[in-house]
Amino acid sequence: MTAFPAPATRARGPEAAQALAAELSKLVSLPATWLTLGGTLVVNLILAMAFTIAGLHGSTGTKSATDIGLASISYAQAGFVILGVLAACSEYTGGQIRTTLIAMPRRALQLTAKHLTLAIVVLPAAAITAASGVALAAGVLGDTATPVTSGHVAAALSGVTAYLALTTLISASVGALVRQTLAAVVIVLGYFFIAGPLLRDHTPAAKYLPDSAGFAMWFPVADNASAVTPAQGALLLMAWTTGLIVVVMLLYRRRDT
Amino acid sequence: MNVITIDDLVKRRGSKEILAGISFQARPGRVTGFLGPNGAGKSSTLRILLGLDRATSGTALIDSVPFVQLRDPLATVGAMLDGSGAHRARTGRAHLRWVARSAGLHRARVDEVLEIVGLTNAASKRVGSYSLGMGRRLGLATALLGDPEILILDEPVNGLDPDGIRWIRTFLRERAASGRTVLLSSHLMGELAETVDDVVVINEGRVVADGTLDEVVGAHRTLEDAFFALTTSGAP
Repeated sequence: MTAFPAPATRARGPEAAQALAAELSKLVSLPATWLTLGGTLVVNLILAMAFTIAGLHGSTGTKSATDIGLASISYAQAGFVILGVLAACSEYTGGQIRTTLIAMPRRALQLTAKHLTLAIVVLPAAAITAASGVALAAGVLGDTATPVTSGHVAAALSGVTAYLALTTLISASVGALVRQTLAAVVIVLGYFFIAGPLLRDHTPAAKYLPDSAGFAMWFPVADNASAVTPAQGALLLMAWTTGLIVVVMLLYRRRDT
Repeated sequence: MNVITIDDLVKRRGSKEILAGISFQARPGRVTGFLGPNGAGKSSTLRILLGLDRATSGTALIDSVPFVQLRDPLATVGAMLDGSGAHRARTGRAHLRWVARSAGLHRARVDEVLEIVGLTNAASKRVGSYSLGMGRRLGLATALLGDPEILILDEPVNGLDPDGIRWIRTFLRERAASGRTVLLSSHLMGELAETVDDVVVINEGRVVADGTLDEVVGAHRTLEDAFFALTTSGAP
């Protein structure tokens, strides 16, 4: 094929910034985004309260406010899974994907903007969700909790925030592959709550899978020499996320819509 | 400039041949009607032209450039496909705003296109509450956002009330009169005879007629008669 002359009316920099602005506008104007984030925050606080009360009664042994306040995240992450899937699958409602690709025909750029936007929205939301659970646990437990350094709290909170953001991006990628909200949610939650735990019990190599590697980022199992460290877990989960996004990108670029 | 050139477009899905070598042009200053029965390949052609689907072979170019390589797609081509192209949970205005942002257009332009298509009063309502006709108007508003030189509309009169049909006819004639290119597809002949200058008729993935309205109507009484004679095999 011959090289086509490119009429230069818009440079690449502005085009990328505009794609980002469009994707951000899309995400924040979708009511489901705020319902999911708000619902997740509330459910997480209720769960954190339940774990804290259980902690007060000593049924879980003496623990730090951080450990108790973050215990609910393994359930609340379902909200972030739903958000990621919704962000991807909402394109396929009402034929919106065609509007998207006519407005932003360079698909790799558009999909990158979409994932970046999701990360921008989810990082503060995840930090608020995680911190509010810990603050609630700390407030209720008071002096009865095991004291921890602020450095430990900061490490745990940043680990859990990064974990939730990466989990959201993984969910968005699965959503983009499957294109059906319900099916994609079932697949990701099925992995995190059923397949993941089953594999963990039966295969040592399962610790390198996204769920276990992700847990290691904020729920360190200190008494095991072969365990994945938080830093290794973060690298592993980033690798999984990047790999999945690359696969999605390759398919998305060629697919009929 | 502003010429759409479709050259020997072939599309196969599995063993099914949807397009079997479509070629035609749509020129500026004219309304080109792309006609054919349902399933003839009209939408497939337009989707390939807009970079949504990939052709098996052949090219569909806008001023000798594929759509996906246009530097400023929204300001070059306005397109409306079936439905509103909008998520039902957003308001009409929110939908137009994100599209406007993708091209760096000012948000005042959103209110302008809402005014043009007569949706100003429904702009704050969710798209899910729109009637079929309102959804089409929103689709048209989206196509007009970048004030493009070329309009590509798939079945634009579908779902419009008689008022809306009359309005869109006048609107498209004015666009062509100002030197712009309009390509519209339809399976409704009666609605279009007064609107189009050039006619391309396709049937079962092949072009069966291509010319000015007079050339295609030829010896037939109306465009509708010509259409049925061209697309109904073995009919009297």
